[in-house]
Amino acid sequence: MGTWNLIWQGLASGVVTGCVYALVALSLVIVYKSTDVVNFAGGELVMIGAYLGLFILLGLEWPYVALFVMVPIGSFVLGGLFTRFSLDKVSGRAMVKHANLVPLVVATIALSYLLKGIVRVIPFTEEVRRLPPLMTGPPIFLGDVVIQQQDIAIVLVTTVVMVILWLFFGYTFVGKALRATSQNIRAAALLGIPVNLMKLSVWGLSAAIAGIAGILLAPKLLMTPDMGTVVMLAFAAAIIGGFSSLPGCVVGGIALGILQNMVGIFISPQAIAVTPFFVIMLVLLFKPQGFFDTTLAVKKV
Amino acid sequence: MAAHPTRAQSMNGLLQLEGVTMRFGGLVALDHLDIDIAAGSIHALIGPNGAGKSTLLNCISRFCTPQEGDIRFNGLSLMDRQPHQIVGLGIARSFQNIEQAHQMTVLENVLVGLSAKTGNYIPFLPGKARQQAEAQALEKATQILDQLELLAFQHSLAGELDFGRQKMLDFARALASEPKMLLLDEPAAGLRNREIHFLDRFLMRLARDQQITILLIEHVMSLVMSVADQVTVLNFGQKIAEGIPADIKRNEAVIEAYLGKEASHA
Amino acid sequence: MYGSPSTRHLLSLLWLVLAGFLFPSWMPEYFIYIMNMLMMYMILAVGLDIVMGWSGQFAFAHIAFFGIGIYGTALLNMRLGIPFLLGMPLAALLAGAVGYLIALPATQLRTVYLALATFAFSECAQWAFRTWESLTKGPDGLRMTAPQLFGHVVTNDRDAMPIIAIILALVLAATFYLWHSKLGRQFHAIRDSEHVAMASGIDVKRTKVWALAISAFYAGIAGGVYTLFQSYVHPDGLGVSMLVLVLSMVVVGGSGSVAGVGLGVVLLGILPELLRSAPKGFLIWQEFTYGAILMLAIMYMPKGVWGLWQRIQQGRKA
Repeated sequence: MGTWNLIWQGLASGVVTGCVYALVALSLVIVYKSTDVVNFAGGELVMIGAYLGLFILLGLEWPYVALFVMVPIGSFVLGGLFTRFSLDKVSGRAMVKHANLVPLVVATIALSYLLKGIVRVIPFTEEVRRLPPLMTGPPIFLGDVVIQQQDIAIVLVTTVVMVILWLFFGYTFVGKALRATSQNIRAAALLGIPVNLMKLSVWGLSAAIAGIAGILLAPKLLMTPDMGTVVMLAFAAAIIGGFSSLPGCVVGGIALGILQNMVGIFISPQAIAVTPFFVIMLVLLFKPQGFFDTTLAVKKV
Repeated sequence: MAAHPTRAQSMNGLLQLEGVTMRFGGLVALDHLDIDIAAGSIHALIGPNGAGKSTLLNCISRFCTPQEGDIRFNGLSLMDRQPHQIVGLGIARSFQNIEQAHQMTVLENVLVGLSAKTGNYIPFLPGKARQQAEAQALEKATQILDQLELLAFQHSLAGELDFGRQKMLDFARALASEPKMLLLDEPAAGLRNREIHFLDRFLMRLARDQQITILLIEHVMSLVMSVADQVTVLNFGQKIAEGIPADIKRNEAVIEAYLGKEASHA
Repeated sequence: MYGSPSTRHLLSLLWLVLAGFLFPSWMPEYFIYIMNMLMMYMILAVGLDIVMGWSGQFAFAHIAFFGIGIYGTALLNMRLGIPFLLGMPLAALLAGAVGYLIALPATQLRTVYLALATFAFSECAQWAFRTWESLTKGPDGLRMTAPQLFGHVVTNDRDAMPIIAIILALVLAATFYLWHSKLGRQFHAIRDSEHVAMASGIDVKRTKVWALAISAFYAGIAGGVYTLFQSYVHPDGLGVSMLVLVLSMVVVGGSGSVAGVGLGVVLLGILPELLRSAPKGFLIWQEFTYGAILMLAIMYMPKGVWGLWQRIQQGRKA
């Protein structure tokens, strides 16, 4: 009976962590879909969001709600700056979606190191900190399963964010313009859509989503500049979901969260760390299109 | 579909397409095509944009696979071949939007085109086999570059040539493999008049002197009328006419497909 | 990219070997260590350039193969007493074989998925190095027995240098020949245009697999070289940071040419050492420094310092 308890607990906390993975996965996917660039700095954007939140909460002593406004804005600006100054320089503002992919990805690798390095040298981060949770209070018990208040907060916020984004991309003008740009950049330009602004917005939005994931995740971890390693889990989630759609990210994230816990229960706690990498390898090598979409990861002439 | 054969349909053309149907999702790009290309001839493929001409070339060079039908070269079906095996059989092609190794020199591009005919050797070591293979390759490459008046540019980067010369480089690369058949996708597009005349004479020479069969997609009608022995007209993936240039010019279905416009060339 | 390497290039390799024999007699031990390190990085970086720069494949598994080379050579020596001249090639072949196997499914992935899959493989490999304790002593690290060569045991940098120089010279010679060969041209062709490559009779998939396997072999050799002048290996050193360092060498120095890569190796190879011996305060600047250098390089010198140098030279001629 003890095992069942572990399983239920694993499922519950898997859903929670899965929500965070789903958010970060989404931030990776929207950038990939618009610019074909895989953002290796995705994890560091999460980390920055968390530290920004820490600064606003403990440094500026603003109320918690401010986090959900300031962190996305701050992250958006960061993402936009990176695009405007670094990415545009590297790709030469080329109109072609497939221009110069390798240098762009290298630029994201450089960004990840740069962000990590900056945070590490700022005196503010010397001690290992903890971001206070959004919802505090006694944990909730469902049978023998423990659910922290923060866990509920995570699921709630993730749901809200996902719904907002779904409405945004589906029903607002800007959202549709973004989708148009990601499908056919030349056609979008011909239609008068300011393509470079769109690209900037996508990166900014991606960073903002990552930032929110950061402030959700941080209370559950000890904050260090190395927090960004969560990005690999996000990649795995995105790949499971086919790297192409919002529902894919959600399913992928939750699936991965649960999988990790199950691996911990049935195989070993040491194996948890390597699970996302195994998942990435196995899915890409055997089912590259993921379990959701037919957007091809395999080359076609 | 109008009845059109002006000469007996020979069942032993060098390249034969039979019932070839190519679908991309819901779009039918090629619709049960039957085309026969006679050895040693220059066969032009014309039709409005989107008629499926480039798709046809892609099917022959195996960049895509038709859902139905067969394509035979010298009697052998191409359907179970990989794209890189096609040039070994003797079919070479050029590309509509210039594709080249733009960061390699002109000479190196032609050497790449010679890959199929260059001898093999262990790449990490010196030796006789290497020397011979490389020397032969270099000689052939130089010859071809000379033929196409590109020798002066042999050490320039392919991406830095002007458009007309890039096109010539595309031919040079295709010719390097000593093909029996050439597939040319809009060879005259973007060329100046002088260059088109060069192309005209060049194609004739290839067909007459070297017995190379040529299948060319073209919009420049003056070239088509001048060099083609046979013209096939496609529209919406279907063959709407086929015959000698003079007949095609007068064919009503063809004129209608082009909306009465004859592509004039500036 | 045709014919044979120039006599000038081959002669410079002779100078390299000569230096390898002469330097140990007068250079301070620390500098010899640095030179050995740089020579090892050179093999690593050139190998990475072959798969990334020459063939345009974004393959991040390089350090996993490096690890296989290190552990392979060391363990063959320690467990089976196999001398270096046999052990290193065997370990390198193993690395190459693993590279070949990984490449078979991986090379059909689009660029960025290839990066992810190979990166994931590298992480799995690092995890394996950590967890397979019976083989690698896991988190304790492996104290390696000194390698044997013709009965002589190589215990210090001075003894190692000539051997490393010879190995590097052979590797570079092979690389020069590869550059000027049909295969070398094929690598470059598939980077620029797979359509042209296929239409020219090049089996793109097979060529890509060979590119990755060959680069894995190079990494394996570099791993063997590591055991010549280092006495300790730990899985922590076989991860992302190492990959980013080698990647930076290629990017900053100049991808696509041996000279460029060499420049990058020299410029960035001394960086970890500088930071290590710097006062404690500077250690935390490591990531920032790497990030900044890589970012600036990719933005302003996409063809590396060597590429910049070439452009200046051409500007002078004009």
